[in-house]
Amino acid sequence: MQENVIDQSKDITILELLDRVLNKGVVITGDIVISVADIDLVYLGLKLILTSVETMQQRRLTTIKPNQPQK
Amino acid sequence: MEKIIYAIIANAGKTEQVNDYVTNIRGITGSNLYALHFNEISVAVSDFQSSKFIISKELAIDFARVIEELSQQLTVLPIRFGTVVKSDEIVKQLLTDNYNAFRENLLKVENKHEFGLKVIWDYDKCSEKIRSKVESEEINAGKYFSKSTINTNYLLEKLKKHRLEDAVLKHVELLIEEISRFLAQINPDCKFKKMLSQNIILDGVFLVEKNMKSEFIEAIEALKQQHDDLHFLLTGPWPPYSFVEIQIDK
Amino acid sequence: MSENKILLNSVPADEIKEAIENIENTVTSRINATPDNADHGLAQLVLTLIELIRKLVEKQAIRRVEGGSLTEDEIERLGETLMKLENKMEELKKIFNLTDEDLNLNLGPLGDLM
Repeated sequence: MQENVIDQSKDITILELLDRVLNKGVVITGDIVISVADIDLVYLGLKLILTSVETMQQRRLTTIKPNQPQK
Repeated sequence: MEKIIYAIIANAGKTEQVNDYVTNIRGITGSNLYALHFNEISVAVSDFQSSKFIISKELAIDFARVIEELSQQLTVLPIRFGTVVKSDEIVKQLLTDNYNAFRENLLKVENKHEFGLKVIWDYDKCSEKIRSKVESEEINAGKYFSKSTINTNYLLEKLKKHRLEDAVLKHVELLIEEISRFLAQINPDCKFKKMLSQNIILDGVFLVEKNMKSEFIEAIEALKQQHDDLHFLLTGPWPPYSFVEIQIDK
Repeated sequence: MSENKILLNSVPADEIKEAIENIENTVTSRINATPDNADHGLAQLVLTLIELIRKLVEKQAIRRVEGGSLTEDEIERLGETLMKLENKMEELKKIFNLTDEDLNLNLGPLGDLM
């Protein structure tokens, strides 16, 4: 039981570490970077798409006013 | 030979000292770590043959080890793992092109540690009060729907679900405010993510002055005393991974 | 790296497992992207994205219902569409053998849209 706790502590430490080193820090993307993990390209593309979707949705929302006459 | 980039470093003009320190740290895959410089900033780099290595957990952990060792004596901005470029020239170009941004960010994290706090609860137990409150707020169906159909009933269920989610979110926001109060004397930079899952209600990162480390830990422990129903996972000190605000796309 | 970074841990054993799995989800997607599981990874990514959009749409729809500016017909159509969307999502999850946990990918700054 005691061993389990120590293992879990190690697991947690390693995971927190991995989360930081894989998902945080300075992000450099583009042609100069040799893609070691191609998943980055997919994420970059996604980022562009989703930002435009959100912008579109926001624009749509702001043109609708609550007290417009009902159709 | 391809290069992997580890971290941006503040050199305070002491490039020789930085060289000495950096070259004494082992790079990943047994490579030699070395530094390149431009004015008051440097960068830690090593050779890396990307075709030869698979991105693995072990490699990432070793990379983090290098950053950890660098941060023992230097102010660093960690680079995300897996950033490989063609040559030293490109690395130098990155330094010069982004000099001001790097310098500013380095100043911001100087003499500080990062800490991470996850707050966890048992959703079923702890949201009891919130749930009963939302349910008692009789959502007057008639207010929104003039008749009861499959479609309106579906919407009604969603309405209730969203009301509950909003109420839980508000509860978490109150917790964030409370954390800020407990940390008022220390006043660290902080970032919060709410509701990572139903049970992980808060994920916060804090940038704390190194000499305030004990006070910070004490403050979190005091906060914990106030909440028997919540569980806390505090980790650190870490290099300032979460407080790097630079994204470069070239 | 032997240094233990845990300063405080009051999370009971049964609840810590979930916390561990949650962080695991945010890192495995980046480490395990190999050609073998690339297909699965891609489906996971695409469906996570679609699910995010669906949730956003659902949220906005409910806000509009609460706003009270919709006609009876619009409400009916909204409910029907949302229901179909959700059902479609369930279908896709089954086809690609993905669970709700699988669709909780870390989308970085995108995740904050929710």
